[in-house]
Amino acid sequence: MSDAMIARAAPRASRRADTLGLVVATIALAGLGIALPALGVSGYVRTLVYYGAFYLALGQAWNIMSGLTGYLSFAHGALAGIGAYGLVIAMNADWPMGASLAAAGGAAVLASLIIGATSLRLRGAAFTFATLFFQELMLLAVRKLPFAGGPGGLVLEQILPEWIAYVGMILLAAVATIGFALLRRSRLGIRVLAIKGDEDAAASIGIAATRLKLVLFCVSALVAGLAGAVHALFTASLYPDVAFSVDLSLIALAVPLIGGVATASGPALGALLYVGLREVLQLFAPSAHLTILGLLLLAVVLFMRDGIGPTLARLLRRAR
Amino acid sequence: MTEVLQARGVAKRFGGIIAVRGVDLAVRDGELLGLFGPNGAGKTTMFNLIAGAILPDAGQVLLHGSDITREPAWRRARLGIARSFQIVRPFRDLSVLENLLAAVPAGGQANDTTSALALLRRVGLETRAHDAAGDLTLGMLKRLEVARALAVGPRLLLLDEPLAGLAGQEATDLLRTVQALKGRMAIVMVEHNVRLALPLCDRAVVMDAGAVLAEGTPEQIRRDPAVIRAYLGSEAA
Repeated sequence: MSDAMIARAAPRASRRADTLGLVVATIALAGLGIALPALGVSGYVRTLVYYGAFYLALGQAWNIMSGLTGYLSFAHGALAGIGAYGLVIAMNADWPMGASLAAAGGAAVLASLIIGATSLRLRGAAFTFATLFFQELMLLAVRKLPFAGGPGGLVLEQILPEWIAYVGMILLAAVATIGFALLRRSRLGIRVLAIKGDEDAAASIGIAATRLKLVLFCVSALVAGLAGAVHALFTASLYPDVAFSVDLSLIALAVPLIGGVATASGPALGALLYVGLREVLQLFAPSAHLTILGLLLLAVVLFMRDGIGPTLARLLRRAR
Repeated sequence: MTEVLQARGVAKRFGGIIAVRGVDLAVRDGELLGLFGPNGAGKTTMFNLIAGAILPDAGQVLLHGSDITREPAWRRARLGIARSFQIVRPFRDLSVLENLLAAVPAGGQANDTTSALALLRRVGLETRAHDAAGDLTLGMLKRLEVARALAVGPRLLLLDEPLAGLAGQEATDLLRTVQALKGRMAIVMVEHNVRLALPLCDRAVVMDAGAVLAEGTPEQIRRDPAVIRAYLGSEAA
């Protein structure tokens, strides 16, 4: 092999090694997380790990659509809420858990199709406004719908062992992270980043941007819907003001933006920082954690545009 | 010689301004057609109407006899019409190679890395394959845009002012790239720099005020009194 060929092959090989490393690390961490109860760790630690996995799954869901395309969504909390309500309504109607999860994911996908089909043809802020509007509309609608329990919410009638939601959320977060890493490296991932770069130029080389954005939004909604559904297994009771609170949508976007947007590992770092920060703030400023999250997000956006992970990686490379 | 593209009575209006008024145009297989005209002549609008970036108010655009008048740009690319942009529009966050790998070729078969590298070699960018596209000079970006358009496997290549902003060696390199593509596919080149571009063309169309003013070989265009009056002026004299 000539030097030039080696030079050409090197970046590809290194990217493949990075992805492989991420897949192995994700599987190892997920395995460790699942094994924690057997290792005798406290319920407090298990809850932290669970919430880390929940925010990671939601963050990856947001990353799949908004991180890759640049179209900002404020509806991922509502998509998770739809998944949660879908699961509880289906299970309370005596559907098996698998079918209920499928219904929950399907309901979120259907919602994303409605938002996407009406707003993704347009460029700029149309999609963002549509998602914000949808988030608020869902809260109002669920409060009024009798089959959704109205303002009092719904309770999951079956009592399930705690490990189901715990293991389910860790597996979902791991699959979403690995899926994102593979998508980012694939030809499809390159095309989506091309859309983010310049939609007219992408169209000029045959990329059907509207269709591709809609497909990504559906996949992203599926992950968010499943995260909400598994979380409903964990909490077992749903209140519209909590399930459709804009807080969850803000967490879904803050986690990748803080950790590293459009990267597979960024949301993991973001989720870790957010859960850690929230615990510390519970002690010192219990009602201000979202305000501080907002300030952190602002600082990251102003000073580290790609997020903390990629900025640190760049600094490390420079230091070498 | 078969016609790859035909425009029949194509018209486009922007508000109160008629940019293109009922233009007929034919591009033949394997030829390099130059599209010239002074500022505001309607050549860029005509170019965008062929590429599908905008749709006409009247008239028809046919590709190999099939009506593509209402087809969006991405579908035209998949049918074999590729373009470059006057002001370069690379995917700056992707590598040079990824800029080519992103293309959806007309045949439907995705380009592999080897063929994408071969295209980069054709435009002299193979050593920059793994650099971020945003790190290239303007001349390199212009050549990258040509390579990216070729990654579509076009039957018709549209070059929008490829020499704009280039001088000296960079302009020469780009002309050499275009010269090497001649005969392999039909090419339409909109260019402001008539002196450099006209000798390269097999045929040229000169537009003025949204209509075709003259059409013919470079020699016929150079001698056409209407063209000399309207556009070439002292440059041709």
